[in-house]
Amino acid sequence: MRPETIQITQLMKKYITIVLLSAFMLPSCMNEPQIQPNTYEGNFNSLWNIIDSKYCYLDYKKINWDSIHSVYQDSIANINDDVEFFDLMGGMLGKLKDGHVNLYSNFDKSRYWKWYTDYPSNFNSTIIYSRRYLGDNYRIAGNLRYALIDRGNVGYIYYGSFADGFTDNNMSYVLSYFRNCKGIILDVRDNGGGSISYSEQLASYFFTKTTVTGYIRHKKGAGHSDFSEPVEIKTPAHKTLQWQRPVIVLTNRMSFSATNDFVNRMQLAPNARVVGDKTGGGGGLPLSSELPNGWMVRFSACPMFDSNMQHTEWGLEPDVWSSLNPADESKDIDTIIETAVLLLK
Amino acid sequence: MKKVNILSLFFLICFIGSAQNSTEKKYALITTVNTYGLSALNLTDPYLSPMPYRGTGILYRHENRRFLSPDNTHISMINRLGLLGGIAQNPSKSASMIYLGTNFSWGMHYHFRPAKGIQLLVGGLWDMDFGFKTISRNVNNPVNMDLATNLNLSGIAMYNFSFLKRDLRLQLALQTPLVGYMFVPESGASYYEMFDLGNLTNTTHFSSLHNRRDFRQTLTLDVPFKHSTLRVGLSSETLKYTANDLVFKRNEFSFVFGYTYDLLIFSGRKNKAPHNFISTNE
Repeated sequence: MRPETIQITQLMKKYITIVLLSAFMLPSCMNEPQIQPNTYEGNFNSLWNIIDSKYCYLDYKKINWDSIHSVYQDSIANINDDVEFFDLMGGMLGKLKDGHVNLYSNFDKSRYWKWYTDYPSNFNSTIIYSRRYLGDNYRIAGNLRYALIDRGNVGYIYYGSFADGFTDNNMSYVLSYFRNCKGIILDVRDNGGGSISYSEQLASYFFTKTTVTGYIRHKKGAGHSDFSEPVEIKTPAHKTLQWQRPVIVLTNRMSFSATNDFVNRMQLAPNARVVGDKTGGGGGLPLSSELPNGWMVRFSACPMFDSNMQHTEWGLEPDVWSSLNPADESKDIDTIIETAVLLLK
Repeated sequence: MKKVNILSLFFLICFIGSAQNSTEKKYALITTVNTYGLSALNLTDPYLSPMPYRGTGILYRHENRRFLSPDNTHISMINRLGLLGGIAQNPSKSASMIYLGTNFSWGMHYHFRPAKGIQLLVGGLWDMDFGFKTISRNVNNPVNMDLATNLNLSGIAMYNFSFLKRDLRLQLALQTPLVGYMFVPESGASYYEMFDLGNLTNTTHFSSLHNRRDFRQTLTLDVPFKHSTLRVGLSSETLKYTANDLVFKRNEFSFVFGYTYDLLIFSGRKNKAPHNFISTNE
């Protein structure tokens, strides 16, 4: 090889080395958060930190999260296996009293259910599928189950999950089917939520103009009160499908999350009333994160408010309280539906 | 009628040879490179997860480079399109992140020729980076985007040499952003709030070396064979950016292989092919 070529090759080698080194050194200047080790202690700290920095209701619920750290950290030393550790962490998350908080492992899912198990169910699916209500020949549009009740005077819709969609076309058929009715009963009892988009869409059929029905904020920093400015949540009036006669929404404690959001919207619909029990709440839009051991945690991150900037986390009260009467129940009569039928007369 | 004729290097060499002899019009060739690669990926997106995800991917890159004018062999124009797709897993292998990304860049280089066989190209590139990351098990934050546009410093060093009676070309291409804008969500903001409610407050950020560092480098060797020129090499990207107290990373290290060729395009009313170029349209 010629001396000139050798010199050039050496220069290029030197240049390449400098470039490669600087490529790896430059990015190291930005500080990354420390990742906890995959140990019980590390996973505990990771979970505690996620809630401490991202959970949105610590201040609102007056939870002393620091003291919870102390209590549960002492228990880590006595852990023997993953199941025990999972139960301990699930117990810690239970202190948040939030149905939107779950810990997911390969063998279990922690949950807080007291938001409805501590209350009467006020719903009996056997009754709503009896001849008096949906019967055997009810129709299904999307996931809306509907039938005429009270001798055809009232339209009854049961919608069991906001995770299951429906289209404008579905709703067009439903409203057309009820065109001779005095009003509609929209039953969202035992509807544990799903997509807020469906909540907005379903509510839009009962509004005549775009209305601010709530607000949302989110955590923008690690502090317990580091929230963004409230953003309006608007419920639009549907452009072509508007039910302008009375509508009654039936609720119970299992009306949770997106259903809670739907009820919050419907409280401002012009011809709507809410009948039944208080909803289960779930006003915090949940996000996800994970621990070093791969377990996923879901937690409320974005608090939602009603139109008066009041939290909806603990549920929404109905306009008319009503509960299932055991004597009616024994005769396959749903007291809450009957209350709604009376209100529509 | 618009005519587009793409001819191979073989015909071009013949044509240029005859053009030199007869002092006919010069033509600026388009050097095109198509490369494919296998990548090792390292992704960190704290909006989706605090954990680093590692995996593998495949990439495709297309590059065109030509002189602005055949009479000025100092300034060339370049455009690049890159596609990268991959799957990465968290350390415990309990969740996967899918990554799909594309990068388009366009710019110019000034050519220095400090010694025989050596070219140094220095210039600037404008690029748009769009990446899509998803962890399907997440709730309300299952997706995040790498969305950025930058003005980049770009350099290419080329060294032509002979080895075993073959004319080889060693090339090192470097690219790093200087200023730009990027999309970074706040850690607690849901896509529902950002895109359904339209609250994009604090999601677009001016970027420069203080908050975005990206270093792309590709070292390749072009080896001519009887009827084709193959390219093999190594490529890497080290991207790190921060905003809203979140630090994102995308590291990719790839083995690349492909082929390169020169093109001449005849198109339009004023850029017709000479009579000795045969087109299927005639």
